Amino acid sequence: MSVHAPRRWLTATAAAIVVVGGLALATTPAAADTAGVGYVRLAHLSPDTPAVDVYLSSPTGAVKNQVFPAVAYGVVSPYLTLPVGVYEVAMRVANAPASSKPVLTRSVTVTARQAYTVAGVGRHADLGLRVINDDLTLPAGDKAKVRVVQASVRAPVLAVSVADGPTIADDVAFATTTPYRQVDPGRWRLVVRPVESGPQTELTTSLGAGNVYSVLVLDNQSSGLTAKVLTDASRRGGLPTGGVETGAGGTQQVHRGWALPIGVALALFGVGLVMAVLWRRPGGRHARV
Amino acid sequence: MAATRRAARAGVSGRAVLLPVVLLACFVAALTAGSALKIGAFGETAEWHDPASSRAGASVLPRQGTGPAASGPPTRVRIPAIGVDTALEPLHLDGSGALSAPHDYGKAGWYADGTLPGDTGPAVVAGHVDSKHGPAVFYRLPQLRPGDLVEVERGGSWQPFRVVSSAWYPKTDFPTAAVYGPTPTPQLRLVTCGGVFDRSLHSYTDNLVVYAVGA
Repeated sequence: MSVHAPRRWLTATAAAIVVVGGLALATTPAAADTAGVGYVRLAHLSPDTPAVDVYLSSPTGAVKNQVFPAVAYGVVSPYLTLPVGVYEVAMRVANAPASSKPVLTRSVTVTARQAYTVAGVGRHADLGLRVINDDLTLPAGDKAKVRVVQASVRAPVLAVSVADGPTIADDVAFATTTPYRQVDPGRWRLVVRPVESGPQTELTTSLGAGNVYSVLVLDNQSSGLTAKVLTDASRRGGLPTGGVETGAGGTQQVHRGWALPIGVALALFGVGLVMAVLWRRPGGRHARV
Repeated sequence: MAATRRAARAGVSGRAVLLPVVLLACFVAALTAGSALKIGAFGETAEWHDPASSRAGASVLPRQGTGPAASGPPTRVRIPAIGVDTALEPLHLDGSGALSAPHDYGKAGWYADGTLPGDTGPAVVAGHVDSKHGPAVFYRLPQLRPGDLVEVERGGSWQPFRVVSSAWYPKTDFPTAAVYGPTPTPQLRLVTCGGVFDRSLHSYTDNLVVYAVGA
């Protein structure tokens, strides 16, 4: 039994070194974390559909369930920040029990840094829940980005342009959303014009460089159109070039290096061994003498 | 007699190996204390804006641009997970169009021509990783993990952010659009240096960017 003792301690020591190495590796900072969040907002864009309760839930329990009660036509929520994953959006008639069968359901897959508008669109008779991709990437060359979200059944096809300026979108059909179009930033008068007949509507808005907007066109309370500008994403200030010079090198020997931790570990182990040997010595020497 | 002496020696050698192993364990514990225990899933810490509790009327969703009211420039940033609590100095673009670094190695700075922390958009806070002599204010930034809290003081109130991710980039391939591009919510980016220090250029090769979103 005692013959095996040294081998046992050798094994234990080796095991300890492996454990230590593993722990040390476990503390290495990850080069890049792939986890992330995306963004979802909810909208009611069906002119003849009464208010609805909108439910958002996560089958995986990534977030707790959300209820947005009595959402009326024309309402668009702020963006909700959600961990990447799949979510389910359900619409029920306002005040219907949460346990009742939803009028509509739609799943939305959220990927990192991407944004989505989940909207009830179309006439009530053929109401659908649609996932609209919101491309919030930086517009090139200090421009602004604008698109049209067409939710007016009264003007089933319409055009939006900058007054005395470029067209933002032509022939936009009810229940559709156009791609984003880049325009010069500035304070502009936007003209929303039905293609067939009916009065046009105008609105004045400031479009900031590097910002992203949606022009939401709705039926108004009486007999015409109304339009409002949603800021989908924003930023401010000039775009810096390149990175930032945030270091003078004073920790270069240790920063993200392995020399120090390994050295300290070896030194501590060595000191321990020496101490242990010295500790044993007097007894051994005494026995020999 | 011989047997008991052997047993005693076995006991001694037990202690002999125990000692260095204990010392090693202590060292490893110290090494890991700051970082290993902080790893947590973002999902658990993500806080939702609860429309039911904050909505003024009963029939509409909250409007865009909600969030704690704040005014004036940011004055401090604190990051409990890595022991940062520092004043902020304003940063501007230098002659070449790059974001200048803080003058003070012990303080962080914020991009003063950019988004204000707490407003919709990407607010940018930069800090040195080291001075010529040793660690600086953002030395421990690489230890931040998803879910960690970052708070920026503005107008007497603290704007909370949660770390979502972090990534290293060569300065020659800095992701300008991801760092400074438009965002749908109030967000924060923390920037410092890393990689290899080029002594001839007095510059690190890489930047670390920590991405955080309004909590």
